[in-house]
Amino acid sequence: MGNKIQFIDRLRLGFAVSVAKSVTFIVRSLRLGAASVLPGSIARRIEPRLLQLLSQQVKNGVILIAGTNGKTTTALLLCTILEHKGFRVTHNSTGANLENGLMTALLESTNLLGTLNTDYAILEVDENIVPRVLKPLQPRIILCLNLFRDQLDRYGEVDTISKRWTKVISTLPTETVVIPNADDPTLSNLGQQLPQRVLFFGLNEPEHYLEAIPHAVDSIYCPKCGHSLDYKGVYLSHLGDFTCPKCGFTKSKPTLESSEWSQILVGLYNKYNTLAAATAAIELGVDEVTIRDTINTFQAAFGRAEDLVINGKRVRILLSKNPVGTNETIRVVTQSTDKITLLVLNDRTPDGTDVSWIWDVDTEKLVERGGTLVVSGDRVYDMALRLRYSQKSPESSINLIVEEDLRQAIATALEHTPENETLHILPTYSAMLEVREVLTGRKIL
Amino acid sequence: MSSQNLELTIGWLYPTLMSTYGDRGNVITIERRAQWRGYDVKVLPLDQNATAADIKTVDVIVGGGAQDRQQEIVMRDLQGAKADAMREKIENGTPGVFTCGSPQLLGHYYEPGLGQRIDGLGILDLVSVHPGENTKRCIGNLVIEVTASRLAQDLREMTGTTPYLVGFENHGGRTKLGKVEALGRVVYGLGNNGEDGTEGAFYQNAIATYSHGPLLPKNPFVADWLIQTALRLKYQQEITLKPFDDSLAAQAREAMFKRLKVNLPGAAAAKV
Repeated sequence: MGNKIQFIDRLRLGFAVSVAKSVTFIVRSLRLGAASVLPGSIARRIEPRLLQLLSQQVKNGVILIAGTNGKTTTALLLCTILEHKGFRVTHNSTGANLENGLMTALLESTNLLGTLNTDYAILEVDENIVPRVLKPLQPRIILCLNLFRDQLDRYGEVDTISKRWTKVISTLPTETVVIPNADDPTLSNLGQQLPQRVLFFGLNEPEHYLEAIPHAVDSIYCPKCGHSLDYKGVYLSHLGDFTCPKCGFTKSKPTLESSEWSQILVGLYNKYNTLAAATAAIELGVDEVTIRDTINTFQAAFGRAEDLVINGKRVRILLSKNPVGTNETIRVVTQSTDKITLLVLNDRTPDGTDVSWIWDVDTEKLVERGGTLVVSGDRVYDMALRLRYSQKSPESSINLIVEEDLRQAIATALEHTPENETLHILPTYSAMLEVREVLTGRKIL
Repeated sequence: MSSQNLELTIGWLYPTLMSTYGDRGNVITIERRAQWRGYDVKVLPLDQNATAADIKTVDVIVGGGAQDRQQEIVMRDLQGAKADAMREKIENGTPGVFTCGSPQLLGHYYEPGLGQRIDGLGILDLVSVHPGENTKRCIGNLVIEVTASRLAQDLREMTGTTPYLVGFENHGGRTKLGKVEALGRVVYGLGNNGEDGTEGAFYQNAIATYSHGPLLPKNPFVADWLIQTALRLKYQQEITLKPFDDSLAAQAREAMFKRLKVNLPGAAAAKV
């Protein structure tokens, strides 16, 4: 915070910024893309301390959001709350959450002299780069949403990530406020170890417990002593009400009473996102009335429980990119009365090139209720096989339609959707972008 | 013997600790293919609560991969009588599929990138070493030709063609085989160590491979081989398995061969 930048730094920063802005202008006017990464990448070569020089100009501080699932939705909610209070907020809203994406977002709010004019910067950060960006960003608040196994082909293991987070966060100033998920044993443990001020968020609603612990679970072992944790109940994946019978480690008490809060969008995971954003907003001094108003009128980020109307038919896109997220979207689908679902599985870099994770998803729940399932995507046959093996009998209990061509798959799914039902689409990340492009007729990234 | 009387118990090694990369796919595939044929199938978790006696009751064993910390918990638990029971099962020909981290566990030892060497059961004559955190992981789609002689012959008889397996590998550790036979030769990908062209190992009726747990859905003939071998051993007679429509698996294989541009004589046309 503050504006204490040396004259020489200011010159070089100004130069870096003007080059970056020219790059953005060129990329956009030639329609080469949305320029969400490249400007940051180039400006950083000119001024390596770019991230630090920009973020220290953010008037009221940087809010960093990390975690496997829910970053974009939580960031958007917090952003909207702060904007309702009249603040200017910078946010890497396209989801470009590596260093160059963070810089590009900050550069957007910077003038040609290198002056950043914003009240808050809300930055979604990929879990793997958190340790690298904490020092230059010096965040005022760190939101740690959850840690699930995701894209292990790139990042390795959940344990490794949480250890590295703990190590780097503990070196930050003690005024830093850390807001971890109390229901995630690894993050609860992280919060309990930190010298900083820690506020927890979590659920206290046993009526939402799952009947059984799902298969796609990472941390059911005590992060302190390695003993099996006792769960009074599980909300989703390994998130729940736990204690360790051996060392006494237990869930920390959340600041907010979850049952007193409504939630944004559908799905229990969005309750977590709501509570995380609300806890941060209260910490920033926003009144509860504004927060509750924003929650009640919130619109989804693209592809996250986003509702569209196409040719008079209702369509809901539920991004499904890892086992836990997909189990939750399946819960949303099976709780509805709609009987038509389109699943799109891609294996490109943003999706993770390994599709083995679909075998950790409880697709049996989707198949058990019957109806029509249309599958498509780069790995359409892998998804089809997963659904085939979800059936208890050799004869198909569902109407399984396998369609390699995505455009055709969407058309077929829409045809099968009655006027009074909603078509649920469960795509991986790159598939979500393609689906939106087909449905809305335009590219977004 | 009517299929209604046949029972199959699948022993699943540490389901909560060793199922990192969709390894449950192998359990589901064996379970369903046996159920669809009318057999009674039981899945028995071979975890901390299981005893050596439990291990002795299983007809086929499935093991997946673990993160390093989980692998250590497993190794601490799988000792003494339980380790002996596991050794005895595999030596006596109980079929099994061991993917990802499990082969390291069945070998002599695994040296992780960080931390101490983890001793294995020493059933397979192989060792695995992680060359350090800064060494590139072996990641990507994998195609191998099964060369382990007895298995290759069985699979050729079942399918009428050269047995190619399609999978996905993701491992930091490099495995060197001792006297144990390799499962196959790498057609596409890296395999045991990215150097000698070998992938996996085959010993008695245990299939070990770096390919992740959903190996069997796309290679259903291997699932059937495991089921057939298990039933033969249990009931001491040859049992003919009812064939299924495996066209989805065939299409999945063809799509991958085409994408990787691997030209396999006769493979694309082969029935799965």
